[in-house]
Amino acid sequence: MNWIQIMRNVIKDIFAFWCPPSRQLPFAVLFKKFQSILERNNRILELMADMGDKLGGEYVFDRHFIEQATEQLGDHVFKLISDLSMLAQRKNVELFTAFERIQHLLWQELAGRSPVTGSSYVLNLESLGCDLTEQTGAKMGHIGDLRNRLGLATPDGFVITTRAFFDFMNQNDLLTRAVDGIGAWDGHDEKALTDLAEDMRRRILNAPLPRGLARQVSAEAARLIGARTGFDALLAVRSSAWHEDGESSFAGQYSSVLDVSADRIMDAYREVLASAYAATAWRYRILRGYREHEVGMAVGCQFMIRGAVSGVLHTYAPHVAEGIMAANAVRGQCASVVDGSATTQTVIMERTEPYRLRTVDSAVGRVVLGAGGGSSHVQTMIETGEAPLLTEQQGRELAAAAMCIERYYKRPQDIEWTFDDQGVLHILQTRPLRFWAAPEDAEPRVDAATRDAEVIFSGKGLVAQRGVAVGRVRVVRTDGDLENFPIGGILVAQHTSPRYSRVMRKARGIITDVGSPMGHMATIAREFRVPALVNAGVATTLLREGEEITLDTTQNVVYRGRISALDRFELTEADVFEDSYEYRLLRRLLKHIAPLNLVDPHGENFLPSSCRTYHDITRFIHESAVNELISLSERQGVSCTSSPRRLQTVIPLGLVLVDAGGGIACHDDGKVFLPEQIVSLPMREFLIGIDSCGTWCTEPVSVDLGSFMSSLTRTFSNPQAAGRNLAVVLRNYMNVHMRLGYHFNIIDAYLGDAINDNYIYFRFMGGVTDFIRRSRRAKFVADVLERFDFRVEIHGDLVVGRVKKLDRARMSMRLRMLGGLVGYARQLDARMHSEQDVSRHVRIFIDAMDDVIKGEHDE
Amino acid sequence: MSDTTTNRLRILVLDDEPIVCKRLKPAFQKAGYEVETFTDSGQALVRLHETRFDIVITDLKMEGADGMQVLSSALETSPHTRVVVITGFATLETAKESFRKGAFDFVAKPFKLGDIIECVKRIEGEMRDGQDRTALRIRPV
Repeated sequence: MNWIQIMRNVIKDIFAFWCPPSRQLPFAVLFKKFQSILERNNRILELMADMGDKLGGEYVFDRHFIEQATEQLGDHVFKLISDLSMLAQRKNVELFTAFERIQHLLWQELAGRSPVTGSSYVLNLESLGCDLTEQTGAKMGHIGDLRNRLGLATPDGFVITTRAFFDFMNQNDLLTRAVDGIGAWDGHDEKALTDLAEDMRRRILNAPLPRGLARQVSAEAARLIGARTGFDALLAVRSSAWHEDGESSFAGQYSSVLDVSADRIMDAYREVLASAYAATAWRYRILRGYREHEVGMAVGCQFMIRGAVSGVLHTYAPHVAEGIMAANAVRGQCASVVDGSATTQTVIMERTEPYRLRTVDSAVGRVVLGAGGGSSHVQTMIETGEAPLLTEQQGRELAAAAMCIERYYKRPQDIEWTFDDQGVLHILQTRPLRFWAAPEDAEPRVDAATRDAEVIFSGKGLVAQRGVAVGRVRVVRTDGDLENFPIGGILVAQHTSPRYSRVMRKARGIITDVGSPMGHMATIAREFRVPALVNAGVATTLLREGEEITLDTTQNVVYRGRISALDRFELTEADVFEDSYEYRLLRRLLKHIAPLNLVDPHGENFLPSSCRTYHDITRFIHESAVNELISLSERQGVSCTSSPRRLQTVIPLGLVLVDAGGGIACHDDGKVFLPEQIVSLPMREFLIGIDSCGTWCTEPVSVDLGSFMSSLTRTFSNPQAAGRNLAVVLRNYMNVHMRLGYHFNIIDAYLGDAINDNYIYFRFMGGVTDFIRRSRRAKFVADVLERFDFRVEIHGDLVVGRVKKLDRARMSMRLRMLGGLVGYARQLDARMHSEQDVSRHVRIFIDAMDDVIKGEHDE
Repeated sequence: MSDTTTNRLRILVLDDEPIVCKRLKPAFQKAGYEVETFTDSGQALVRLHETRFDIVITDLKMEGADGMQVLSSALETSPHTRVVVITGFATLETAKESFRKGAFDFVAKPFKLGDIIECVKRIEGEMRDGQDRTALRIRPV
């Protein structure tokens, strides 16, 4: 956002003000529309949160719910656009077009046509995760999870999507050929199958590629390889087919081509595609009941790693011993372990910290690892005392990573790993580990195991994410407690806070005294699949720092000590709910619904045509409606039922209020309101905060008082110069647009007794000094907001903070804080001389506000 | 199987959406119940004639025999069975009709796993007390 743009907008606004009024509907009618927009806006946000909440696993829902919720949401968004059309008296064609585009995508998803809606041939690893597996295959989807969710190192690279596969195959009529060919096979004639496979292979290796594919791949490869040379520039080109590494492993069925130079990628690509039609792969698919239309092949291209020590690890090996992980290790690359060509060393590690490591005799204690299809029975385990290939430190690192992966997928895992010559651990692949025998019968039943367990508390609070977590309690009170949060700890805190996202990768579970399963933290916990119980009331009272507990949010119980049976039950459950079709569908739908791309109303992309989600449309309409109301009340000021009137305050804020219903007591015909007349709850709190501004700026210690006071007078003495400071208030609502000095604030808040309705949206931008100083001020504002649990986004010098679903007292405190902040940050950029000033001002501000916010910021 | 097994409450779950069965089965098993799940009402009816279940949890709107038929049939073969109706199309009318036909409870989908387990535990409690309050409550003359 630059200054010229701001000026342009201001000028535009002034001209808009001078425009001769066209024939208008009465203000009362238009205001009703405005109110209905606000209500519908909130309803839409609630519905979106509600759909997100369902991903936590606590609810049983079916496809019908997903369809119904999607339809209902679409209906509201459509009506919202219609309401805006009425309020603004224009057609909003572009908004309706954006709406139809999104709705079409949602319908496509619901109709099961999402797989090939993705139009890219090439996807970067940064954008990958388990929700895109239709485009990337499960193997590369897992790589995406490991990198982007779990923060583990994987070789850099990219994926050639299934879209490329389908275009390639269809353009050359190869899919029909495969379907017809295998359809005509009698199921016995081996020679016929081999001939068919050979024919497919020849055709694939010789067929032309879809237009643009080679160019896109070579551009991506060039970007990836950069200045690398020799071995460092070589890639592994790997199969990542649908269903591979999922419920069936397909281990060893499809090809990977190693040591590929950039100019040979497309040859290797064809080679990998051809492997989908090798006779063995075809036989495997038929055996496992896959249909021909379920074949889709994405291909991963990743750097080769110079492995110093590599291997395969199974996170669970009950056939060797209980409570251990087993790994086969070898010097050099991992491939020799997987294909069975090297003699390996077998090491076992405990599944709990400090993950003690032992080597066992690989002849006697042999665990057949590698091909992903389970482990053989082993009777005895003899420790050899042989020096392990892994150092203690490496063993711990590998074990911690393995447990992190297992916890995320809620399944024992079969993991390929390598430590490179720099000692960095790379995860090459992970897939669910299948057992031959169901361990359920042999073990104590869950209800028997929990019958004698000591319950610390049960049935309290609300489940934000279902699951089982065993670990030691870590009570978090300050940011310092987050700094050194232990891996595998269970986070216990008084309140939920999005700040905890920092430790989401380390925490095994979360329990809070206060909070909502629809808040930001809950969303993040679900994203990371961390079992979370909120609003439990008693957690910080009953749980002691460092004690080992078992949190079971599937039954909503906290047990003292470790209940391994519960953990095991979850690892051996037939289905992981997060992976079921309905959950994947809901997550995919939400991608077209919930993300917010239109963050800056003054940004270039704040346009109807840029709306990519329902949330974007909703945000755009909210902004437009508020603007519309401001110009309406200015144009029609005198004739409307509650004409805008200036608020008389000690500090002249230039604030004009429109009472839209129950926001202000005793209407009379005067030209001003007095602060005492304000009934609007959020406005009252906000003004208390603003008044406190007067208190702290007389403090001699805090800031450069002289210049501050002079700038204060300069700004406030002329309300016109303060910009159009307009607030619409209702009893529980306020929407404030406030230009102070050269910066612009928007606060949109609802405050009442129903926790779920409460929210504050705060936006801050502008400034006259150089960009660095403005950025520092933005950082200051963001730091303060984060301390008060706002979810904060910074874009240059624009800061957007949101907080919602806190109780009335905590929301009130935050509104008071914002009143102070608006004043304090006004021209702070002029005084931001160094980075240290940021934290210094955060301290000064919080100290100065102490009386008004009553030390609650320590929570 | 051991003695404890025979004391376990037996639950039949019927819903044509497999996800509902997939979620309910492990949840009930974990809470210590014996569970059988069906996505086809015909097969569920056959099973209900073969063996007695303490609790039947059934969807309402299904292909073939609907939930009301299953409800009546379950109570005919075994009057002590408690039937819980779960539905994504909850209306006051269907709720009333379910109760009139003898349902123990009527639950709208989506519901919380905790709530349905709570409901089952309530039934278990009443059965243990040997009281038949529900029968009195829902079957007036």
